[in-house]
Amino acid sequence: MIERKERKPYWRHTKLQMLASLLPFLMVMIVFPLYAERLNSNKFLGFPLGYFLVGHGLIVIAIFTIASFVNRQDAVDHWHGAHEDT
Amino acid sequence: MTTLGGTRLVNPRLGTYFGIFVSAFASLVILALVAEQLGAPDLVVRWIMLFAPLALYAGIGVASHTNDPADYFAAGRRVPAFFAGLGIAISGVGGVGVVCLTGLFFINGLDAWCIVNGFVAGLVVCAIMVAPYFRKFGAYTVSSYLGRRFDSRIVRIISAAVLVVPLLLVVTAELKVGAAAAAELTGRPVIEMSVVFVIALVAGLAAGGMRSLSWAGAAAGLAAILALAVPAAIVATDATNLPLAQFSHGPVLRAVGRMENVQGLPIPILSPFAFDLAGTELEALTRRMSHPFGSVGPASYILTALTLAAGVAVAPWLLPRVGTAPGVYEARKSLGWAVCVFGVLILTTSAMAVFLRDIVLEQLAGSSATQLPAWFTTFAGSGAAAVDGRLPKLPLSSFSFKRDAALFALPIAAQLPAVIVYLTFAGAIAASFAAAAASTLALGTLIAEDAIYGSRWEILAQGPRLAVTRSAIAMAASLGAAFAALLPADPLKLMLWAIGLTGAAAFPVVVLSIWWKRLSTLGAIAGIISGFVTAVLAILAGEAGWFGVPSTLCGVFAIPVSVATAIIVTGLRPAPARHLLEMVRDMRVPGGEAVYDRELRLARLKRRQASAN
Repeated sequence: MIERKERKPYWRHTKLQMLASLLPFLMVMIVFPLYAERLNSNKFLGFPLGYFLVGHGLIVIAIFTIASFVNRQDAVDHWHGAHEDT
Repeated sequence: MTTLGGTRLVNPRLGTYFGIFVSAFASLVILALVAEQLGAPDLVVRWIMLFAPLALYAGIGVASHTNDPADYFAAGRRVPAFFAGLGIAISGVGGVGVVCLTGLFFINGLDAWCIVNGFVAGLVVCAIMVAPYFRKFGAYTVSSYLGRRFDSRIVRIISAAVLVVPLLLVVTAELKVGAAAAAELTGRPVIEMSVVFVIALVAGLAAGGMRSLSWAGAAAGLAAILALAVPAAIVATDATNLPLAQFSHGPVLRAVGRMENVQGLPIPILSPFAFDLAGTELEALTRRMSHPFGSVGPASYILTALTLAAGVAVAPWLLPRVGTAPGVYEARKSLGWAVCVFGVLILTTSAMAVFLRDIVLEQLAGSSATQLPAWFTTFAGSGAAAVDGRLPKLPLSSFSFKRDAALFALPIAAQLPAVIVYLTFAGAIAASFAAAAASTLALGTLIAEDAIYGSRWEILAQGPRLAVTRSAIAMAASLGAAFAALLPADPLKLMLWAIGLTGAAAFPVVVLSIWWKRLSTLGAIAGIISGFVTAVLAILAGEAGWFGVPSTLCGVFAIPVSVATAIIVTGLRPAPARHLLEMVRDMRVPGGEAVYDRELRLARLKRRQASAN
């Protein structure tokens, strides 16, 4: 169980982790389609690069974002003693 | 009666059970293939491909019957991350995603990805900002969560009244797609197939609620992935020598691009707010496949993705699934699995769209009206495609296809055996079954828990509580079928409206209620109502064509309005009560018992003490 005085630092840490995970992903999601046309002249795995990044790329980045978030947030939970007791 | 706190017991044989299910499904398809080769009547094979899988899902639902509320509303919090994610992904994609999105990929090309991008972003936002806290709170519906979070029955009832609208739209859209696919498969009228769907839904859901949905939905998800991956893999092996369609269709896509250059397809310059995705009518093939912004302007693209993300992150038919995970850590992980499964499904269908475009360019474009292949003439005869045969050498743009027929056109055009064609239908039916089941259950629970019993806090005895929920589920399914029969609307549009409305009405308040502990009850009410009203007005304005902003972008106005109203109204009122702040602090920490489960336990303890005295 989390100690009372740990709550504030825990929540500050959690907020930072939320921003660190979410903002890069949203940036990427906004930027990729805008440059898709220019990137399409290159190819990757046989795909036009722009199409590949908007389609496969964003899904892979999303999986990576959630995986790293789960890992980091779990570390934050344990650091502050906020984790679930199993 | 099971205890609530310590049930973290995940069934260790889940993998085996679903292995058996997948083998059963595969052998069913192989048996159908054998029967077809032995000369069984075509109609029998078609009916087998419709009924056998539906009976399997409904049977799994019946087999997981339960009378324990914790099982009925949260699957006993025993669904491991992968299966919870599988359920979320398949009910998120649904028949609309499988059937309509494939058509959009085929007709609109890269621009259709704005919907996918929004969906993926929604799952990410949900995993990071909403899901862990929703799981820790442990409420069974989004409205119950809001009501308890603000300790206000009014918030609960208002949010339930508002969220009924998008849920009903989703049930309607999914039943429309599912019944249309089943009707196409069996050759019977759509109405009859809607009735079949409603019977399967009620049979599968009423017995076990969320428990049934978790396992039947997971089975339907696996069936849908398998059913779509098989035709995609066969066509991919044919075209690229690699059965991994999802990653091997790149060279085909570039070849398509070169042929489109030869055909001289235009590269239009659109206004940034243009939004012209294909509807249900015949649509000429005039857009390039890998060229962005041919039918959706850049601003529309980004805004669609962002507003869809907001809606998906708090979708009341997806979020309660998070509550079935055994813990907060698993709840976060389940969304990761959801993105994985979602990605596999969408990459499969987008690959199928690319292969279909390739076949159309190779076999149809450049030929004359008299020498079109047989599959196309039968296809055109059924009204799913058409050709403008005036020119001696037909260009690509003289062919038009119906969006919702593209998925089923690929196995026909590739001349695969009839059973594989029916398998594609079975995949679409499985996906719509899973999504319709998820939204029907969410709608039924919302009506029973938050609308009918929303005015009281005491936790009811389980007998009447489950009886009411079961009848509400039956009512929700029939209501959806009635709407599906009466509304002549485009299912994709219904789905986009539903997600837009959810994003406008619920997203700002749910996110603020977690991340801003001072949000007051009145602020929440104002946020929900203003967001919903603005979104409805934006949809009406968009349909009437007033400001030139499409109705599917309703969240663009509504979300900022909702956030601003919630913050301003909160600022006018005194700070919220101490026990609410304490509850938010409790909700933010993963450790400890789920807030709602503790309430249930205490209520039960109180009742036992009262009966002892």
